[in-house]
Amino acid sequence: MQALERSPNLATAVVLATLIVLPFVVPATLASQIAIFATGALSVALLLGAVGLLSFGQGLYLGVGAYVCGILAKDAGMGLIPALLMATLAGAVLAGILGSVIVRRHGVYFVMLTLAFGQMGYFAVLAFKNVTGGENGLTGVPRQFDLLGLSIANPLAMYVFMAGAFFLVFLLVQRVIASPFGSVLAAIRENEPRSIALGYAVARYKTAAVALAGGIAGLAGGLHVVFLGFVPPSDIELEMSQRLLVIALIGGIGSPGGALLGSAFYTIVSEALSEIWPRWLALIALLLIGLVLFLPGGLWSAGRRISALFERKTAHE
Amino acid sequence: MSAQLLLFQVLNGVGIGMIYFLLSVGLTLIFGLMRFVNFAHGAFYLAAAYIAYAVVLWTGSFWWALLFGPVLVAILALIIERLLLRHTYALPHEAQILITFAVALIIQEAIILIFSPLGHNVPVPSALSGVLFLGPYVYPSYRLAVIGVAALVAVVLWIAIERTKMGSILRAGSESAEMVGLLGINVDRVFMATFALGAALAGLAGVLVAPLRGVEPFMSAEALGIAFVVVVVGGLGTLSGALVGGILIGLVQSIMSTLWPEGAQLMIYAAMALVILIRPTGLMGRI
Amino acid sequence: MIDRRRVLTGVAAAPLVLAAPAFIRRANAQSVVDVAGVYSMSGTFANVGSGLNDGSKWAIEQYGSAAGNKLNYVLLDDRGDAGEAVRKVQEAMTQRGIKHVIGCTNSAIALAVQKEVYARKGIYINEAGADEITGKDCNKSSFRWPVACYSAVNATVRPLIEKLPKAKRWYTITGQYVFGDSLLSNCKDVFKEKGIEHVGNSYHSLSDREYSGYIATAMAQSPDVLAICNFGNQTVDVVRQAISYGMKRNTKILAVWSTGLDQFQALGPENCEDIYFGANFWHGVDTPGSRRVAEIVKQKTGDVPNYLQACGYAVSQILIEGINKANSTEVPAIIKALEGLSYEGPTGTETIRPEDHQVVKDYYLMLGKAKSKMKDKNDLCDVVAATKAFLPPEKTGCQMAASL
Repeated sequence: MQALERSPNLATAVVLATLIVLPFVVPATLASQIAIFATGALSVALLLGAVGLLSFGQGLYLGVGAYVCGILAKDAGMGLIPALLMATLAGAVLAGILGSVIVRRHGVYFVMLTLAFGQMGYFAVLAFKNVTGGENGLTGVPRQFDLLGLSIANPLAMYVFMAGAFFLVFLLVQRVIASPFGSVLAAIRENEPRSIALGYAVARYKTAAVALAGGIAGLAGGLHVVFLGFVPPSDIELEMSQRLLVIALIGGIGSPGGALLGSAFYTIVSEALSEIWPRWLALIALLLIGLVLFLPGGLWSAGRRISALFERKTAHE
Repeated sequence: MSAQLLLFQVLNGVGIGMIYFLLSVGLTLIFGLMRFVNFAHGAFYLAAAYIAYAVVLWTGSFWWALLFGPVLVAILALIIERLLLRHTYALPHEAQILITFAVALIIQEAIILIFSPLGHNVPVPSALSGVLFLGPYVYPSYRLAVIGVAALVAVVLWIAIERTKMGSILRAGSESAEMVGLLGINVDRVFMATFALGAALAGLAGVLVAPLRGVEPFMSAEALGIAFVVVVVGGLGTLSGALVGGILIGLVQSIMSTLWPEGAQLMIYAAMALVILIRPTGLMGRI
Repeated sequence: MIDRRRVLTGVAAAPLVLAAPAFIRRANAQSVVDVAGVYSMSGTFANVGSGLNDGSKWAIEQYGSAAGNKLNYVLLDDRGDAGEAVRKVQEAMTQRGIKHVIGCTNSAIALAVQKEVYARKGIYINEAGADEITGKDCNKSSFRWPVACYSAVNATVRPLIEKLPKAKRWYTITGQYVFGDSLLSNCKDVFKEKGIEHVGNSYHSLSDREYSGYIATAMAQSPDVLAICNFGNQTVDVVRQAISYGMKRNTKILAVWSTGLDQFQALGPENCEDIYFGANFWHGVDTPGSRRVAEIVKQKTGDVPNYLQACGYAVSQILIEGINKANSTEVPAIIKALEGLSYEGPTGTETIRPEDHQVVKDYYLMLGKAKSKMKDKNDLCDVVAATKAFLPPEKTGCQMAASL
C-alpha cells in the first residue's frame, strides 16, 4: 500500500474544489452523506496508509460516536458542538483503550482482533437495548440544531456544515502526516523492527494512531446522527466497517483526499446502480477486484497518473 | 440445572463442536499453507448448500448432492485461484483478503439472482430422519450422522497430512513455501490444490448442514464468523487446532445457552480476542 | 424496474431539480400523484423488501387512480440501511414534493421514516411490527396495517389455551431483542391471567442459528406447549430444530409471530404438520378484499398471494381508500378520512382506529396439516381461529396530536 503524501497543496485544492462542486452535481442530502462517509473513511485510510494497519472494525467507533452523540443530544439536551466533541472523545478513548491491547499483535491477528471487537460492540448495543433502542435503533434525537445561532436544518446548510467538518479533519490528517509524529508512523510502516531498534516506543505510536483514527470515526458517527436524527443499528454493524474500508480503498489510501473521492464515487455509483439493478453489490465487488489487481492506489492514484501525463505533454510543448 | 441436563448439554456441545470443526477445517488448511485468511470461505459453504438444495429438488437424492456440492465448489475455487488469486501472491496479504471478500460478495449476489432471496428447506435424507434414543436422551439421527462424517473427515485428513507424501509437502510448505519450491516441487500446484481442498471441505460442510439449517443467501455470515473464531482459538493453520477449537466453541455455546444465553455470542468473540492477546498462535498452534 | 425519470433525476438532473420547483415540472401532466414506496431491494432484508414492494406496486397498478388522480409509484430503495431510507425520504419530500409515503422493510426503518414524514407533514402508511409505531412513537401522519405484539399474543395464546384445556405447562423460547421481549411480556400477562404455569424461558440473541441447547433445556421441563417469541428466519430455525429433536411428540409448538405461506414453504409440509402458527394474513381466507389481492397476484405470478405481497398491497390500499373517501390528495383531508374508516381489506372488513391509527383486523391462529390432507401445494395449514385483539387506545402509550 502506498505511502500517504507529504505535499498537501495540490491535494487540498482538489478536495476543496470537489467539496464546492458537489452540491451542484448531486442533491444536497446525498452530498452530506458523501461528506460524512468520507470522514469515516479517513479513519481507515489513516491507519492503513500512514501506519500500515488494516482495520476491519472502524464501524465500532463510528457506532459508538453516533450513540454517544445521539443519547447526549436527546436525554441530556446537549448542543450540537458539545455533543459532537463528546462523540469524538468517546471514539478516541475507546480506541485508545482497545488499541493499546490490539497493537501488540500483527498482521492477520491484528485484523481479526479489530473484527472481534467490532462484533462485540454490536452485541453490546443489542444487549443494552434500554439505552440504545436495540434493533429498532435510537430514535427521537432532536433535529433542530443551531450553529452559532444559525439553523442548519436546511439541506444546503447541513451540507456546508458536514463539508466543513470533513475539511477540518482532512487538514488535521494532513498536518499529522507532515509532522514528526507522522514521520515516525511512516518509519514504523516501512520497517517496524528498525524503528524499535532506533529506540521508538512503537506500541505507543501505534496506539496513538489507533486512538486518533477512532476519534475521527467517532466524529463521523456523531455527524451521521446529526444528519439523520436517529441512530440506525447498522452504524455499528460489520457492514459499516466493510463499507468504510471499501470506500477508502476505492479512493486510494495514498492520500487523505482519496477518502473524499472514494466516498463520492461509491455513494453516487451505488445510488445510480441500485436504481437499475438490485444486485449492484456484485458490480462493486468486481470493481474492488479490478482495483486490487490493476489500480491499488485507488482513484487518487489514477488522478495523479492522468495529471502526470498532462505535465509530460505540456513539458514537451 | 440437573446433572442429567448438564451432561446432555456437554454431549450436545461436543456434537455442535464437531459440526463447527467441519465448518472451519477448510479455512485453517488454506491459512496454514497460503498464509492468508480466505474471506470467501463462507461463500463456498453457501454455494454448496444451494447446490445441494437444487440437486435434491431435481433428483430427490441427497447422495448426489453430497457428491456434486464439494466437487463443483472445488472447481469454482480452482477457477478463482487461477484467474485471480495467483496474481496476488506477490502483493501484501491485504490483497488476498480483499479479493476473497469481493468474490464472496459476488457469489452471494449470484445466488440471490438465481434462487431468489427467500430461504428454502432441504429435507433430511429419509434414511436418516427420526431420532435415536441413547438412554434417557433423544438425539436426531441426522445430526449423529453429520458428527460421524466430521469425525471421519478428521481422521482421513490426519492420515493424509501426517502419513502421505502430499501431506508432508503441505506441512513443509506451511513452514516455508520458498524452501519447498527450491526443492523442485511445483509450489504453484500445491497452492492450487490446497485452495481447492479447503473450498471442498467448506462445501462438504455446506451440504451436510443444509438439512439442519435450511438454505438462505445470508447463511455465509454465520459460517465465516464461526470459522474465524474456531480457527483463531484453536490455532490458525493446524488440523488439531480446528478440532480443539471447534469442540471448545461448541461447548461454550451449548453450556452458555442454559447459563447466560444472551451473553453467548459476546462470550465467543471475547474468547477469540482473549486467545489472540494471550496466546496468538491458539491453543494448539506452534510458535 | 427501470424508471427513467428516477435515474435521470438521481444522476444528472440535480441542477434541474434544485432550480425547478415541483409545480413547474408537473404543470404539463394530467394530475398525477406520486406515491413513494420505501423498501430494501438489497441487503439482508432483500427477501422481505422485494415481496412487499411487489404488493405495493401491483396494488397501485390495479387501482390505477384515486379521486381522479393518476397514481405513480416511485420506489425508494434503501438498500437495507435505515439511514439511507431517511435520506431518500427527505430528498423525495423536499426535492420532489412527494407527500404520500408507504412501506418499510423493518421496524427500525419505519420508526425513522415515520418521524421524517411527520416533520414534513406528509402521510405514511407502513407495515412494521414494533409496538412503538402505534404506541409511544405514534404520530398524526402514520398508519400501520399489521397487528403488533399484544394482538399477536392474545389472538394465538388465548384460543390455544381454550383449545388445549389440559395444557398447563408452557415454556417460551424468546429472541432477546425489543420485539421478542414484547411478545414474551404479553405472553406472561396472559399466562398469569389464565393460570398457566410458565415453566421457563430461554433467551437467544438476534444472530443465533443454533438452538439445540435451548431446546434441550425446554425439553427437560417437559412442557405441554412451547411458545416461540421471535421473528423471521429465527422462527423457522427454532421450529425446524425443535422438530428434529423429536419435541413434537410430547409438546405442542406455537410460533406466535409468523409470516405464513413463505415460512410454511421454507419448512415444508412434514415440518408444518401439527405446529401452530400465528399469522397476519392467509390466502385461504376468502373475502372480497382478499379476492382483489389474489386476482392481481395471480396475474403477475400465477400463484396465490403470500403475506409479503398482501401486506404491501394493504398499505397501498389504505392510502388509496383515504384519497377516495376524502376526494382529495391533500394530506390533512386524507388523514381525517382515514380515521375511523372501514374498508374491505385482505383479511376482510378492516377499520382504522382514530386514536392510534392502528388498523383493527383479524390475526389468525393456524394449524399445520398432514401432507395427505393438502388440497394443493399451498394448502399447508388451516385457520383455527381469527381474532381481533387489541389493547384499548389509552393503554398503548400513544399520545396523538389533534391535527397535523
